[in-house]
Amino acid sequence: MPEYSIIGKSVQRVDGPRKVSGQAQYAADLNIPGALCLKVLRSKVAHALVKEINVSEALKVPGVVQIFTHADIPGINSYGIIIKDQPALTNKVRFKGDAIALVAAQDEASAIIALSLIEVTLEELPPIYDVKAAMREDAPAIHDRGNSISAYRVKKGNVESALKQAEVIITGSYTTQRIEHCYIETEAGVAYMDNDLLVIKAGTQNPHYDRRDVARVLGLPMNKVRIIQTTTGGGFGGKLDISVQCFLGLAALKLGRPVKIAYDRHESFISTGKRHPFYIDYTTAADKEGKLSAVKVRIVGDTGAYASYGPATLLRAAVHATGPYEVPNVDIEASCVYTNNPFSGAMRGFGTPQMAFACESQMDLVAQAVNISPVEMRRRNIFQKGAVTATQQKLDASIGIGKTLEAAWEKALQVMPGLGDENI
Amino acid sequence: MAQFHLEMKVNGKAIALDIDPGLRLLDVLRDILHLTGTKEGCGEGECGACSVILDDELVDSCLILAPQAYGREVITIEGLALNGELDPYQQAFLEVGAVQCGYCTPGMILAARVLLNHKPKPSQQEIARAISGNLCRCTGYAKIVQGVEIAASIKETKEGVSRA
Amino acid sequence: MPDLSEYYQPQSLTAALELLAKSNGKLIPLAGGTDIVPAMGKGELKANGLVDLSKLSEIRRISMDDSEIKIGSLTTFAQIETSPLIQAKASLLADAAAAVGSPQIRTTGTIGGNIANASPAADTVTALVTLDAQARLDSIKGSRRVLVSELLCGVGKTNIHPQEIITEITFKIPSTGSKTGFIKLGRRKALAIARMNLAIIVTLDNGKISFARVGLGAVGPNPRRYPVLENSLVGQSPSESLIDEFAIEAEREVTRVLGSRPSAIYKCEAVKGIARDLLKKMFSDSGQGVV
Ligand SMILES: Cc1cc2nc3c(=O)[nH]c(=O)nc-3n(C[C@H](O)[C@H](O)[C@H](O)COP(=O)(O)OP(=O)(O)OC[C@H]3O[C@@H](n4cnc5c(N)ncnc54)[C@H](O)[C@@H]3O)c2cc1C
Ligand code: FES
Ligand code: FES
Repeated sequence: MPEYSIIGKSVQRVDGPRKVSGQAQYAADLNIPGALCLKVLRSKVAHALVKEINVSEALKVPGVVQIFTHADIPGINSYGIIIKDQPALTNKVRFKGDAIALVAAQDEASAIIALSLIEVTLEELPPIYDVKAAMREDAPAIHDRGNSISAYRVKKGNVESALKQAEVIITGSYTTQRIEHCYIETEAGVAYMDNDLLVIKAGTQNPHYDRRDVARVLGLPMNKVRIIQTTTGGGFGGKLDISVQCFLGLAALKLGRPVKIAYDRHESFISTGKRHPFYIDYTTAADKEGKLSAVKVRIVGDTGAYASYGPATLLRAAVHATGPYEVPNVDIEASCVYTNNPFSGAMRGFGTPQMAFACESQMDLVAQAVNISPVEMRRRNIFQKGAVTATQQKLDASIGIGKTLEAAWEKALQVMPGLGDENI
Repeated sequence: MAQFHLEMKVNGKAIALDIDPGLRLLDVLRDILHLTGTKEGCGEGECGACSVILDDELVDSCLILAPQAYGREVITIEGLALNGELDPYQQAFLEVGAVQCGYCTPGMILAARVLLNHKPKPSQQEIARAISGNLCRCTGYAKIVQGVEIAASIKETKEGVSRA
Repeated sequence: MPDLSEYYQPQSLTAALELLAKSNGKLIPLAGGTDIVPAMGKGELKANGLVDLSKLSEIRRISMDDSEIKIGSLTTFAQIETSPLIQAKASLLADAAAAVGSPQIRTTGTIGGNIANASPAADTVTALVTLDAQARLDSIKGSRRVLVSELLCGVGKTNIHPQEIITEITFKIPSTGSKTGFIKLGRRKALAIARMNLAIIVTLDNGKISFARVGLGAVGPNPRRYPVLENSLVGQSPSESLIDEFAIEAEREVTRVLGSRPSAIYKCEAVKGIARDLLKKMFSDSGQGVV
């Protein structure tokens, strides 16, 4: 191997020295003298129409400068990475935590008092927490477009006939839980007007998308919005969505004053995206040597109140449902469904960890049924050079997964001395 | 509203301030003294991002009211690289890649420092216990433990040299 | 941020007691702050004013006279955990202190606060009730001593009068040759409030258990002793089968106490595990935990 100056060498991260010395400035560390403090009034119910918002008492609190509601949105009150379905400030509540009003005040204490004085009249609707219930024809629609957002199908070969001929059939149902990313830095940011240019500095993973959505919500041309990503204390997919950006933009634009917002951990938990809970029905067919002949998989992903990255997550789920194994006959359907749960978005792996849980559990069960070791089961089915994936891609370049499997097994034997030999 | 006259030492400097006694030590450090290297991750003692050294002990500055630090000495992450040169902990963390997003890093480094002050050559278990009040969501901790080990050896060499 | 109208930092115990006496219950004592500060921040606790005890070094120490150990109420978990005296004479308490929260909680939180906070899962309290520890309470009117177990009267409730503070915790050192131990079951190793905790003291005479104390926490409203479990040990010789019988007895007691509460299914099963683990450790030949 030739020697390179960079490739193959560890490099120190450029922002490292600032981070180890405490000099790196994360969003909440930015200090703009005189910046107003922003606080969000969030719904305590999961499904309701907002009939009336009375801010007159709240506005009387000394230190309170302004209170915004959906009526104050100058542009189009909806944003979203894939589907523009999430309002910045809502007139229909779709989950516990939906934003109803935004307070701008001189200090945090007055903002908090104001929150408690805003009177919201709601017409409560029956909440739907269960994806299966949300998919029923007669279920109340959470969004006008209905509760099922998208469905993806991956078909290859003839699953029904493969199932008829199979020597082993294993069927399992799997559910996975909602997970919060829990980056240690909660969402925060500042904003100010630089003449007619709106400048937003925030912890985000997606400044370019943020810019597009903020411009849309505020009715500004893109070139009048500048998003600057501050040093970001973890994201793991959870900071791809808009969190504080529209609030900051709205208040800075309307008031012409610098503003600042920082979520505490509680607000971060209730208001931001989560990993999609999946409901998976998985049927695997194999011959008595453990060679896979077919899989049939039905996946429903609970994207909660808003789509966020839901459609893309379910697409990935469908595409990766067979795991790194070659299966000649495939019938996969994945649907993305709205409920009144917290919204789900991108999180490390994007739907594949959920599928790996189901797929790998099935592999173990088939191994058990045909009486071979779980490792051998995988060896017999793993993608080799020339394999064709569920989506009919021919893998004709290098394929490393087989080697990875052996290396992982070797390592497992090393670090888990009790593991014994393959057949236990 | 009551006022409290707070006197304490922060990173070697004597500080005197009149504050609202309901402020946490974290608030005084971040909002009044602008020492924002100390982070808030949870505000309830779970994450350790707000860790500072108070009279040689590691504490969560979100759990302590500022007046409780009266007459005491606080060291924050900004107090380590005082002469502009990184100290062994900071150097070691950089070297092994124990820093990713960096949000937990100030607390981790201070936890390491308290540990090595009491125990210059800690075992991996002792390191794990010493950082058990500090959450890191990025690294998986292995590199951080390694960082503390390297810090211990850098420190030993340096102190060996300065003693010689 | 809490809006405090009064804040005092007395330099002596007498000054602190005078403040509390004058305040008519408006002032609350502040020790380490690990319970109070986040509770005020979240608005769960509204305090008009605080009497900060943190400067009262007179009640932050550990001492022994004759057969008794005295721990000032302001002593931190870290001080207890690392005290050679506590490690040698009441290792169950050192282990309980070491099991609290995280290094940061242990340097800040105090044993007095652990009692006064009256959590069902308070780790050192389980050790203290097992030791039949007493709390000394002081007010300007004088002082009284109460068993810690009698001071506690429900979740978050105590018999401490508003003008009183706990100044000291005392207990008799278990007799020489006794073995003591503490075990905690949490969702993870650090920063986990106990799902259950268990403390045991046994004294052996000629190979037979002549004295036993068993305390369980996070089962009832406050940690307390379980005489039925103590009796199941007395008169027996340490053995594998005794460990099994004790575990089954513990399951029975926990089932009886918890009834149909949702946590019962888990706790009845789990108590057998911690009971076995702790007794196994205590009955092993290691010198650990020997007084
Ligand atoms: C993240 C975290 C983890 C924790 N983990 C654990 C754990 O694992 N196990 C556990 O048992 N506890 C745990 N705790 C709870 C807490 O640390 C303990 O209860 C601690 O002992 C409280 O002591 P303090 O000195 O901080 O009390 P403070 O917060 O100062 O006070 C608590 C209460 O006691 C009263 N009080 C304090 N001292 C006295 C006194 N001398 N006389 C009369 N009243 C008094 C106060 O008025 C207040 O009502 C945890 C807390 C946090 C935040
Ligand atoms: S912010 Fe203090 S422990 Fe998390
Ligand atoms: S480096 Fe991101 S939390 Fe530790």
